[in-house]
Amino acid sequence: MNYHFDWAVVTSGKYFEWLVSGVHVTVKLSLVSIALSFLLGLVVAIMRMSPFRPVLWFAHGYLEFFRNTPLLVQIFFWYFGSYKILPVAVNDWMVRQDFEFAAAVIALTIYTSAFIAEDIRSGVRSIPKEQMEAARSSGFSYIRSMRYIILPQAVRLTIPPLINQFLNLMKNSSLAMTIGVAELMYQARQVESYTFKGFEAFSAATIVYVGLSFSITGLMTVYRRKLLKPLKAR
Amino acid sequence: MRGKTILLVAAMALVGSLYGSSMAADTLAGVKAKGVLVAGVKDSLPPFGSVDPNTKEYVGYDIDFIKYIAKKLGVKVEFKPVTSANRMPMLMESRVDILAATMTKNPERAKQIDFSYTYFLTGQKFLTKKGTVKSLKDLEGKKIATAKGSTSEQNVKKSVPSATILSFDDYPQGVLALQQGKAIAVTTDESILAGQLGKLEKNPATKGRYEIPDVQISEEPYGLGMRKGDAKFVKFVNDAILEMEKTGEAKKIFERWFGPNSDSPINRGSFAIAADKRGT
Amino acid sequence: METALDFRVVWEYLSYFFIGRYPKGPVGGVALTLYLAAVSLVFSFLGGLVLGLLSVSRNRPVRWASMAVIQTIRGMPLLMVIFWMFFLLPALFGGGMPASWTVITALTLFTSAYMSEIVRAGIMGIPKGQTEAAVSTGLSHRQTMLHIVLPQALRNMIPSFVNQFVSMIKDTSLAFIVGVSELTQIANQVNNRTMLFPTEIFLFIAVVYFIMCFAFTELSRWLERRLAYSKAI
Repeated sequence: MNYHFDWAVVTSGKYFEWLVSGVHVTVKLSLVSIALSFLLGLVVAIMRMSPFRPVLWFAHGYLEFFRNTPLLVQIFFWYFGSYKILPVAVNDWMVRQDFEFAAAVIALTIYTSAFIAEDIRSGVRSIPKEQMEAARSSGFSYIRSMRYIILPQAVRLTIPPLINQFLNLMKNSSLAMTIGVAELMYQARQVESYTFKGFEAFSAATIVYVGLSFSITGLMTVYRRKLLKPLKAR
Repeated sequence: MRGKTILLVAAMALVGSLYGSSMAADTLAGVKAKGVLVAGVKDSLPPFGSVDPNTKEYVGYDIDFIKYIAKKLGVKVEFKPVTSANRMPMLMESRVDILAATMTKNPERAKQIDFSYTYFLTGQKFLTKKGTVKSLKDLEGKKIATAKGSTSEQNVKKSVPSATILSFDDYPQGVLALQQGKAIAVTTDESILAGQLGKLEKNPATKGRYEIPDVQISEEPYGLGMRKGDAKFVKFVNDAILEMEKTGEAKKIFERWFGPNSDSPINRGSFAIAADKRGT
Repeated sequence: METALDFRVVWEYLSYFFIGRYPKGPVGGVALTLYLAAVSLVFSFLGGLVLGLLSVSRNRPVRWASMAVIQTIRGMPLLMVIFWMFFLLPALFGGGMPASWTVITALTLFTSAYMSEIVRAGIMGIPKGQTEAAVSTGLSHRQTMLHIVLPQALRNMIPSFVNQFVSMIKDTSLAFIVGVSELTQIANQVNNRTMLFPTEIFLFIAVVYFIMCFAFTELSRWLERRLAYSKAI
């Protein structure tokens, strides 16, 4: 049983194209999900800090539940289990779309938003309390003081952890392969099962993942250097 | 950075060479020595292999073949669950001694592992909601579910190139996708589909709503999988299953799982285990 | 297809969910999930300690090499690490290693990289003055690290370690991909067999995971508060 390396399998031809299309799906899945996660995370963070108790409790429950449950289980739940809790019309509509991709986006978004909400909350908490008090006493409503005074500052502080969440999300998106989303990991495994060249296929996928991760980390370093430092210096 | 790349390549080459040098051992002697035959089987794919919820024991067509072989060897048997996607690596990396996991013999696989004579013969068909599929044409441009790394996946890509293939880790997940309308059909071997249909028929909620239309896209001879170059073991297994055919044991096992009174009745036709060369 | 949820399936398979095929076969389900997480955590702690210490080493090549390893692992999805281990371990050590050990090795490797960052941050968090004071009283660098810096740093790290355990419990769910019968795999098996109750099954295991993880999250918070309190004194 001798293993013959055949790197050509993954550097050209049909299987190379499979991997490239996998990279596309991974990037698309990550970008769509991070954008939605940020929006949802923002909403949940605001709810979590709401002065209105029931809203606060709901947000608190949301955060704890989704952070303390495996993403994989959430993916399975949204793909296989959601049909019993979604209204028939919504379910039928989703089935006609690309349900696999949609379920992966929903699961990744909800999971990641819970972490982002916590990041935003700690960003907000690092803004001195007096600012909120000052805003309120000068006639701003709670929502408006959040919107115009607190959040703009908090979001800026939240960007490094947010980039970090993006990094996690990109890696987590590999779990979408379990419900048939043809992202990079799925394609690498496809190449393995068609060619039996697992070593080459996994190496190629690893290089891409590590490359993507390093680019995202690089982004964070640039942000810290170029944007955050001058801001603090002022 | 460049130094790191070189290091990485060197490490890979080292690992690769180790991989290459790993043995083509004598499984027959190994199994007898440790007193246990480790078999890779499906664990949720009746009637071939599944765990009985009450007794927690493995049962099925594949299971009965392994039990016979183990008995003939005079050793105990240990079942390990495998999926279509991971069964070949499980065998090649010696995590199991033999595969009895609804595995079709084909030339690509035969380059990697050795197969026994055909112990089960079936053909690839489709499981659909009643009346939705009459010919291959009805499948064009639709979503079809199957299992990763299976021949079913490769065949259907050839037969219906315009379809979108949804590949799961195993077939039942595909059936679930069919039930929920996420796929128009599940495709794999008729025998497996019959088992799935049997399950759907038993349930009042799904009874009478599914069928296997008479659309076949390939012939699928199943073989027991063994490591490459393990001639003694292959011969032993082949002799064992030929003996099962001769004594009528093979037919009895077939009747138990696929007979008219079973949950997944299909016709054995003229099939008999013989020294065949199907799929190679 | 809006139908009432029917949790009888969970009841019927309850022992299967918690202990798998035991006593007829190997332990699985929740018990195996906790076992995988606990064993991997112990190894990751050691791995993280070693990697973390190497990454603050005064020897530059050692420091760089360990950082390269840490960053590469952190750049990979856990799933990728599991596939690599599944693929490489038998090549390196021959076959016969149970799949659960493949998962433990992968989880250990993966989590060690994250643990090492905790260790490094913990060491960096000890004021430099202490090291200087220790060295000036005649302790060697190694002695300072072992007797002065690490004991304090480790104590501060306890909450983070507990948090890692929570991540570890969640991460064990990926073991299903190589056929290890932990909770998620059991859920898939039951789902594959019964077909009609995916919502109930996945909700149930989500709650089971939640209870396990939330308990440890709370523990970590409590430890953090206690630690802050005792520091304040």
